[in-house]
Amino acid sequence: MQLIIGNKNYSSWSLRPWIAMKVHGIPFDEERIPLYAAGSKERILRHSPAGKVPILKDGATTVWDSLAILEYLAERKPRLWPRDAAERAKARSIATEMHAGFPKLREHMSMNVRKRYPGKGRTPEVLADIARITAIWADAKGPFLFGEFTAADAMYAPVVLRFRTYAVEGPNRGYMDAMLTLPAMREWIEASEREPESIPGLDTDE
Amino acid sequence: MQLVISNKNYSSWSMRPWVLLREAGIAFEEVQLKFDDRGRAKGVERYSPTARVPVLVIDGESVWDSLAICETLAERYPEKQLWPADARARRTARSICAEMHSGFQGLRGAMPMNIRSRYPGKGLTPESRRDIERVVQLWTSCRSNHGADGALLFGRFSVADAYYAPVVTRFQTYAVSLPPAAQAYCDAVLGLRALREWMDAARRETEFVAGDEPYATHHR
Repeated sequence: MQLIIGNKNYSSWSLRPWIAMKVHGIPFDEERIPLYAAGSKERILRHSPAGKVPILKDGATTVWDSLAILEYLAERKPRLWPRDAAERAKARSIATEMHAGFPKLREHMSMNVRKRYPGKGRTPEVLADIARITAIWADAKGPFLFGEFTAADAMYAPVVLRFRTYAVEGPNRGYMDAMLTLPAMREWIEASEREPESIPGLDTDE
Repeated sequence: MQLVISNKNYSSWSMRPWVLLREAGIAFEEVQLKFDDRGRAKGVERYSPTARVPVLVIDGESVWDSLAICETLAERYPEKQLWPADARARRTARSICAEMHSGFQGLRGAMPMNIRSRYPGKGLTPESRRDIERVVQLWTSCRSNHGADGALLFGRFSVADAYYAPVVTRFQTYAVSLPPAAQAYCDAVLGLRALREWMDAARRETEFVAGDEPYATHHR
């Protein structure tokens, strides 16, 4: 299997399937396409007509979109979702809520793993998004949302990194620590710090 | 099992799991909470922590978000084959549903669902045109690669058709001109019994939600 991703520093959608595969020991080859660079759009379109990362290729077939990739992987690794049917339904609700929601958080606290912008981006809408995420994480069974690491945690992994960058305190610290100390997460963070590309407009140093 | 929805004329997210359940012949109780002036479904916080429709209540537990509902139903009713049975087709079906779930903002913003109204030519912006092109590309590719067993995206009815059904009604409302293969697909969807039932109910609704009516020239 091959996973096509964007910059580790910036691409929150790429992190989701990547960390799920790492934590669950699903082997894959990684192809990184730095975003917003000369030729990057064409390179992505060669893999998928949707023109967006992440993309999973398995033999002759292609799965695009982080959530579709997670469901595809879960067919082979059922432990990617909680075992209990009611918990599984809740995990899917939380994961899809992230997938199509929280637009203001995504806009004002864009993922930027290696930077620190404490206090930045806290508009009223962003604070409402943070309150909702705080409520979701407050129910975590520990160390992860449903005990073991599931696809729902993969969907919220980039939010943990955003809260680290923008110094958002308050949401479940134990959950954030569990996420940040995962070997896979440390590998992603270290790779982000080594990436040479800087995307103007996303690095807003003041 | 209850499905909590809002106005049938406007609520495209409500429409998806409703059409899926009805077309698949799965029995459920419909709970309709109409939108208030601000476009919020009145009383929905009793059912969902997100205060949004749709919500599926199953064994006393809430499942919120249309896509989580579809996946949960597919798992609970394997005999209904709500996803395509073929693994490769299923991957594509999941991909295009996920793409719809978090995408097509240009189309959704400029062409809000409004089943009972007709605004030919309205809503064509550069962004909505790009989204329409992508929808046509998806439909055409699904029909030619996976559609041999019927008139729908993967031949027979699946989650993917329920997921794109609101887009089909938008193309009708805004009279979007489509290539023949895409138009034939729209016609097939509009002929589904569940679609006809939903649309008939939508036409009978009288509530006017200002936020979903950018092209109305007068209140009804």
